[in-house]
Amino acid sequence: MREKHGAWSALFAEKSAMLSNYFLRRVAHRWDAQDLVQEVYLRLLRIEPADAANIRSPEAYLFTVAANLVKEHAVLRQQQPLGSDELDQVVEQLVAPTNLEADMDSQSRQQRLGALIDRLSPKCKAVLIMHYRDEMSYREIAERMSISTHMVKKYIVKGLAACRQRMADYE
Amino acid sequence: MSEATHFDAARQARRITEQAAAWYLEQQEPLTERQRVAFLEWLRASPQHVAEYFAIAQMHGDLKAAAALQTQSVAALTERARRDNPVVLFPHMENVLPRERGAHPPRRRRALAAWAATAVVLAAIGLGVVRLPGHSEKTVQATMHGAVGNDAAVHTMKLADGTLVQLDRNSVIDVHFDQHYRRINVVRGNVLFDIGKDPARPMLVNVGGHVLQDIGTVFDVKRDAQGDTLTVISGRVRVLKAPDPSVNAGDVVLAKDAVADLTAGQQIELNAAGASAVHAVKIARATAWLPADIRFQRETVSDVARRFNAYTSKPLLIQSASIGDKRISGIFHANNPQAFVAYLATLPGVTVINDTDCIRIVASAAQADTKAGHL
Repeated sequence: MREKHGAWSALFAEKSAMLSNYFLRRVAHRWDAQDLVQEVYLRLLRIEPADAANIRSPEAYLFTVAANLVKEHAVLRQQQPLGSDELDQVVEQLVAPTNLEADMDSQSRQQRLGALIDRLSPKCKAVLIMHYRDEMSYREIAERMSISTHMVKKYIVKGLAACRQRMADYE
Repeated sequence: MSEATHFDAARQARRITEQAAAWYLEQQEPLTERQRVAFLEWLRASPQHVAEYFAIAQMHGDLKAAAALQTQSVAALTERARRDNPVVLFPHMENVLPRERGAHPPRRRRALAAWAATAVVLAAIGLGVVRLPGHSEKTVQATMHGAVGNDAAVHTMKLADGTLVQLDRNSVIDVHFDQHYRRINVVRGNVLFDIGKDPARPMLVNVGGHVLQDIGTVFDVKRDAQGDTLTVISGRVRVLKAPDPSVNAGDVVLAKDAVADLTAGQQIELNAAGASAVHAVKIARATAWLPADIRFQRETVSDVARRFNAYTSKPLLIQSASIGDKRISGIFHANNPQAFVAYLATLPGVTVINDTDCIRIVASAAQADTKAGHL
């Protein structure tokens, strides 16, 4: 199921701890994160209506734009060109100086997140864990819980949103 | 009066997060063409949507790792979830439901009560624009207070004449409008004015021993122990010496009393000893106390544009009533009016004209030429 997700998205999600450490999280870099979002946003606005219809995956487009901007930003910071267009390499470059810190940060974040999962309602928690830990399909979860697949989706949205909001409160 | 409260802001943030999460899950199946268009529209509606989508993507990655730390079996989880059902629904137990439901609402009622208390405070501030009985309908008199203590909010108020006032914490102004003049006395604190147009009644802002005469403009007044500071964000302001209070205040507007004339990006310090020289200043410094974000929910384009104008010496002028009255929702960084202008430019029938001293938003003459003056 997650394989169907755009490759960029999956990569972004995986590398996000490191990426975010670079531009989403640290207070010193807060402006970088905001600048990135603003710049991505402006590029989205620049899409002509005719072209918008031709974008096969807006999500892949979104992450590609973001990745390219991160790369440009890295080039500016380090004042040297990168060897390749691969996001992998970009991420590698970004993370190299603070790798240890990034790991520690993501570990403590996951622990906090684990505590937040425990505070969700039992139903929401059960659905979220089956979805993320056991990688069960919506249908499988729906059968186990005796609810509709629509409700499964709803619980995942609620759980994601609740965790995101409470994590944002930490920042 | 428009007042963005913490309550509204939190609810709006929550809604955006849920939308981002819902869109994120949608991507697991290929989107239909209609969904693709809708998703792109959603992203383009506000930078906050883009930011939140990234945040959810990040959360998604973390959740996988965090969920792996959970040790309960699927069976234990489902069992626990099942026991969580407050009521077992049997057809003949229907009459039990209302009572069962009644067990929960107290919490909601408490929240409502808290909300009602907030509303009372807002209403008290709102008194400023209530027309008092016995006066002509143009007469307004009120004292307005900014938030007190640790309440972090900057209060935004719209007066009866269309003037927009932003009050920092612990700030106080007195408002007195009559048929001939609009007067505001800045008692203390930090206040940003965006003066509404009313050619028949000049706006006079009293700051200590000085009167600021405005000519359709945005400016910031700060009063503290060090003295008074005036910063003009856009337009022009004339600083006059306040007349002797014993003299009939009807004759205040005398050009010969002018202390200084300020234009956009200029600042002057005033105190009992006199006035400093007029000097240039970074607007961002004078407006640092204003919120970093501009949040709006179903507000008119005109009102939102004016909120951006508190931060820029190149104001946005909405010159089409139909565009100005359009209601929009979103969250933008206050220091980035360009993003908002770019957003406006994507609306149908909107043309952006970038002049040297302002950005004009006009209705497109013909649909064909929507890109004139595009950013």
